[in-house]
Amino acid sequence: MLIVEFVLLMFFISILAGMFGSIVGLGGGIVVIPVLTILMGVDIHFAIGASIVAIIGTSSGAASTYVRDRVTNLRVGMFLELASASGAITGAAVAAYTNSAALEAVFGGILLVSLVPMVMKIGVEVPESPELSGLSKRLGLTGSYNESDGRVVNYNATRPVEGLAGTAVAGVLSGLLGIGGGAFKVLSMDLAMKLPMKVSTTTSNFMIGVTAAASAGIYFARGDVDPIIVAPVALGILIGAALGARLLLRSRNTTVRKVFAVVLAVAAIEMILSALGVSV
Amino acid sequence: MNLRDPESMNLVIGKVLRYGVILSGAIILLGTIGLATSSGLSDTAGVLAYNDQVPHDNIDVSLAGMIHGLVAFSAFSWVELGVIVLIATPVSRVVISVFLFAAERDRLYTLITAVVLVLLLFSMLVTPFIPGFHA
Repeated sequence: MLIVEFVLLMFFISILAGMFGSIVGLGGGIVVIPVLTILMGVDIHFAIGASIVAIIGTSSGAASTYVRDRVTNLRVGMFLELASASGAITGAAVAAYTNSAALEAVFGGILLVSLVPMVMKIGVEVPESPELSGLSKRLGLTGSYNESDGRVVNYNATRPVEGLAGTAVAGVLSGLLGIGGGAFKVLSMDLAMKLPMKVSTTTSNFMIGVTAAASAGIYFARGDVDPIIVAPVALGILIGAALGARLLLRSRNTTVRKVFAVVLAVAAIEMILSALGVSV
Repeated sequence: MNLRDPESMNLVIGKVLRYGVILSGAIILLGTIGLATSSGLSDTAGVLAYNDQVPHDNIDVSLAGMIHGLVAFSAFSWVELGVIVLIATPVSRVVISVFLFAAERDRLYTLITAVVLVLLLFSMLVTPFIPGFHA
């Protein structure tokens, strides 16, 4: 394949990756890694390097819109970043002593199981908001955003400690495997903290850029960020993220949940296949 | 813009992210045009070959190498610079959040974001040099 062909093809695929990634809050890496390794035959090291850049691009590109329009909850994001950042450092510290295939199998399994509560809430547009109390009140974990039809959605977060614990798991996974963090962040906010689905995915989207930036230095220094791969990926991702952000703002929470459930299933299967030695 | 107004925090952070993304996108676009025109007819096989040597000899990741490349208008180095700006975008967002919460006199969140910033910088700048990290 000629360089021009490779660049154009990766550019268009990355637009799609950016759109999906910005809507479900997982970043574009979930699409970029398998496309590069399976379709393009690129080495997994380069694919992970490109994925880190794709995640930062999706995160910053879409968050500029989500933050301005107040769908992302900044306080929830900053509070949970305490857990994702310390989890990522812990994961990187113990990575040498762990069996990554076994970990991928276990966490892929957990993601599959978490599809059950996710699907049980499939028709819920906005969850019933609990009274703001205790630690959530102390931390100001409350908010409201405007739907595109003018409705104002008010919500309060609950169970911040459980949310923090789930996000710590997300951070450890990012540090250990470089993947899977976004899914656990969305699940923590949705299942533990009971935030509206769009708040959960856009706040995860806001956070994953910081988690990815935390480990970007090491990949960059190793030379895993290959400009020829990363250039079309970054450009496509940025365009896709801008488009995806517009789509999300106009979508219903139930639609976002359905798309997330499908992507979650795919991510879980990707992790399990990878654990079984199928390179994805 | 009144920095004490909690509403303005969303606008400032939104703008920091938007400008970072536009700047890095523009630099990467410049480099990509250079890449596609200079090596457009060569095969990807040779360029994308991975070897286990760290860092890979086909990608110069040293600061001196990058600056030299930028001055010489090397497409590779310009893409690298764009990627660095992209990586710096969420970091600047955290730095500015610390100041915004401080301006709001919100001590709890000034502390929370400051701790996040320390963890982030430790992870980016220190852990790559600790033996045994990042297997």
